[in-house]
Amino acid sequence: MIEFKNVSYGPLKNISLSVDKQEIAILFGPSGSGKSTLLYLFNRLIDPEQGEIFYKGKPIDDFSITGLRQNVGLLLQSPNLFPGSVLDNLKYGPSLTGSWKEGDEKRLLEYVQLPQDLRDRDVDHLSGGQQQRVSLARTLANEPEVLLLDEPTSALDNNTAEEIEIVLKELIEEKGLTMVMVTHQLDQVRRMGTKGMFMNEGTIQETGGLPGMLDNPETLELKEYLEG
Amino acid sequence: MSPEISNQSLLFLIVFVVVPLSLSYFYQLGMSRSILTSSIRGTIQLFAIGYILTFLFDLNAYIGIPLMITVMIIIASFHARKKGRDLPYVLPTLLAGLIMIEVSVLSLWLLFDMVEFVPSEVIPMSGMVIGNSMVAMGLALERMKTEFAENNGRILAALSLGAEPKQASHLIVQRTLNAALIPNVDRIKTIGLVQLPGMMTGLILGGVAPIMAIKYQLVISLSIFSSVSLSAMFVTLVMYKHFFTKDKQVLESKEAFKEYSSRDNA
Repeated sequence: MIEFKNVSYGPLKNISLSVDKQEIAILFGPSGSGKSTLLYLFNRLIDPEQGEIFYKGKPIDDFSITGLRQNVGLLLQSPNLFPGSVLDNLKYGPSLTGSWKEGDEKRLLEYVQLPQDLRDRDVDHLSGGQQQRVSLARTLANEPEVLLLDEPTSALDNNTAEEIEIVLKELIEEKGLTMVMVTHQLDQVRRMGTKGMFMNEGTIQETGGLPGMLDNPETLELKEYLEG
Repeated sequence: MSPEISNQSLLFLIVFVVVPLSLSYFYQLGMSRSILTSSIRGTIQLFAIGYILTFLFDLNAYIGIPLMITVMIIIASFHARKKGRDLPYVLPTLLAGLIMIEVSVLSLWLLFDMVEFVPSEVIPMSGMVIGNSMVAMGLALERMKTEFAENNGRILAALSLGAEPKQASHLIVQRTLNAALIPNVDRIKTIGLVQLPGMMTGLILGGVAPIMAIKYQLVISLSIFSSVSLSAMFVTLVMYKHFFTKDKQVLESKEAFKEYSSRDNA
């Protein structure tokens, strides 16, 4: 589904990786190791200096940029909601292509387990957890096939973070999404992922199934990170 | 009122400089030097422009007016550019905007017989239009840069949802225009109530009947209102595009992202 071949960008050096359809891949590692950059690269918010990225077997340059971005949803670390109501935010993406239908918000609010009466609430009057759910629903409104998540729960308390994780797992099962998630929380890596990619100093140093690679790390760097 | 201020009377203006100078001295503000130099500099500048205007007013209108307007537009463009020096194509954008505005305003003045094509009318009035447009363009550039920096996350979110740069920066364009236009609207709202506008005051002091002075003031105030709106809109709508690459990526965040990652990995 997703493939990076020898991709370099800034401090990222020769990154090669692949993520299969409906896989939940987790990129984890210390802060500043370039994890988020990989997500930006795949959403084409930036382009690689070297190497190639493939989506469904074709170079991502072959897709229209806006079309690719709609198909590969990116959830940023902060909700970055647009000023206005919850509804204004939910319809933003589909309205760009004229695909928004009245009543779609009901389904989206259900997906992220938010009460329907929040529909007309000003986003400034929502809690942090609610804002992140609205942001997730806004990304889902485009009906993406791939979901890229950049530390989606880092600003939330543990309970809210776990609630969001449950929502995500259910969504992946229900909609058959492929997901790449960036996190530096090891318990989250264990709970969420089927495939782990450990990043350190701009390179992927170890890849493996989860939770196996956390229990039996092969590289010294991962061992140190897990101990550390 | 005496028709002319004598040089002797003018000398007593020094009293107006002594007041802030004394304040600075007694309260140890350390501003004595700058008060003195700015007063002297202002006086020299005004006299210099007085002699230049006298020279221009004596010239043929078809030489004096284009000459002075060109100089004003060039100086205004270079001055406004300071607010957006790091952005590409700022100077040509400002030059083009100011030329377009001045040509449009002047054409309307002449077409509707509001102003006579003589240097003594066109030059001061154009100066006011160009000066105010320059300030509006500078403000718009500055505001746009701040808005882009503060709303980088929202722009990335909009782009990541499939928005075109124009759609992603809609909020910023809206806020920039708002910020550039609000002081202008406020000025028009309180015109004549809080203070008598400069041009009208000048004309009344020069002996023109108040109603005639008001007519001139209306022409210039509404011309400024319109040109300031146009200049802010022009600079905003042309310049927002330069915050993006041809691949619909945010230029600044791209650079910042690379820097951030390099720094963290160092």
